[in-house]
Amino acid sequence: MDQREPVVRFENVGMRYGMGPEVLRDITFSLPTGSFHFLTGPSGAGKSSLLKLMYLAHRPSRGLISLFGHDMAMTDRRDMPALRRRIGVVFQDFRLIDHLSALDNVALPLRVSGAKDVQIREHVAELLAWVGLAEHLDATPPTLSGGQQQRVAIARAVINRPSLLLADEPTGNVDNELGVRLLYLFEELNRLGTTVLVASHNEGLVKRFNHPQLHLENGALRRVPSVRRTVA
Amino acid sequence: MLGARSDLPLEQDESSRFIPYIIALMVYLATLALAGALVADSAVERWSRGLSGSLTVQITPGRDADPAERKSRIENAIALLDQTPGVTHAEALSDERIAALLEPWLGEAATSDLPLPAIIDVRVDPAVPLDIQALSHRLADAVPGATVDDHQRWLRQLIGYGHSVEFIAALILAFIALAAAIATVFGTRTALAIHRNVIEVMHLIGATDTYVARQFQAHALGIALRGGTVGFLVAVLTLIIVEYLTEAAGGGLLPSLALAPWQWAVLPILPVATAAIAMMTARTTVVRTLARMV
Repeated sequence: MDQREPVVRFENVGMRYGMGPEVLRDITFSLPTGSFHFLTGPSGAGKSSLLKLMYLAHRPSRGLISLFGHDMAMTDRRDMPALRRRIGVVFQDFRLIDHLSALDNVALPLRVSGAKDVQIREHVAELLAWVGLAEHLDATPPTLSGGQQQRVAIARAVINRPSLLLADEPTGNVDNELGVRLLYLFEELNRLGTTVLVASHNEGLVKRFNHPQLHLENGALRRVPSVRRTVA
Repeated sequence: MLGARSDLPLEQDESSRFIPYIIALMVYLATLALAGALVADSAVERWSRGLSGSLTVQITPGRDADPAERKSRIENAIALLDQTPGVTHAEALSDERIAALLEPWLGEAATSDLPLPAIIDVRVDPAVPLDIQALSHRLADAVPGATVDDHQRWLRQLIGYGHSVEFIAALILAFIALAAAIATVFGTRTALAIHRNVIEVMHLIGATDTYVARQFQAHALGIALRGGTVGFLVAVLTLIIVEYLTEAAGGGLLPSLALAPWQWAVLPILPVATAAIAMMTARTTVVRTLARMV
């Protein structure tokens, strides 16, 4: 991919569920490689829908979406898995697999990429220890608290060193201190080259980390530049 | 920890619990059907081999059943047969042999009291064309009461029967394969619906359709092999019992139901083939269903 090519590019994108009204209208923006943005807006503004388009869970009703330089309308379905492996997603409802241990949940992206158990075991355990779950490697999600599940979900999203990290309310179920630590983890990944977009309601965190914002309201998007930096 | 396990909890599915039982039943029936076809095929082959290249000349006893007259007719018939091109050997069956052949049907007492026809076993060279009708006329003119049976009518009926049995067995096997495939399709579709959320997550983190399908096909192969093996073993037990009962009760009356060693070796193909059908069906079902996802 051309380094000047944005990781994500939306042009006049609209989205509706079935025959319902458009939940996103004329969305145009781009995320340059290595950028860090917050996605803000009130509940029901369409933040999760926008993220769904970005992590390829949904197709737009109209408009152009380009990921890593690939026009999604022209991309063969068989090429989607390779693109998805470059995207780490923290789902709002975690979407952990209940019958798998925390370790196996986090290892799943590596496993589907074809990595061997011996290669991933140590790496996964280390990451889970970093998010404070060293004592819960074998615990299944239903036995973990909401905050612990969220940390497993975050670990799963970042284990593959994704090129693009999309996080939907990643700090919603953790205390402020852990929320800050997780954002530092995202910033660390960002420094290593990962493009990051974090949807958040937490105004305190958004202000503290002071990255540019994409603000969604009534299905329309506007940019809110950071105080120190501007959106490319 | 990171052991050998599936990402999908297919083993815990209630929906697939019934499939091994269905597969076991189907493999049981398929094994019996195939064994039946193999036995019928062997019997037809045996009978056909025994009857082709041979004729039977029967000379009905005269009214007075004079032994000298009977002997003279037999000798005349054999002399005529020996002069016929294509006949390689003609030999009269002894009275004891004829009685032994009839005994299972008529009993010992009946065969000793009844006037028995004379029977001449004739071997012919299959390479030399033989006009059976002309031979029959010549024999009837030279030897009163002599008739020729070339077994063709009996053989045709027998071969027709054998083919019918084989056709029915093939039909049963085809239905069973179809039933195995249908059961697998429904079981797989149910499992896909149950685990849709997990499959969606796997997709979103980059799993290919074949990665997901591999888990379903491995599961289908496992349960089909388990069910198929049980069904096959019970069928083998049934065949052994039937063979034993036939031998014990039939004597020379019932045809042998014993399978040859190569036929026993063919039968295990069924559970393996059924498992392969289940595996391939599961894979195809999953790949086709997932192809409809984003």
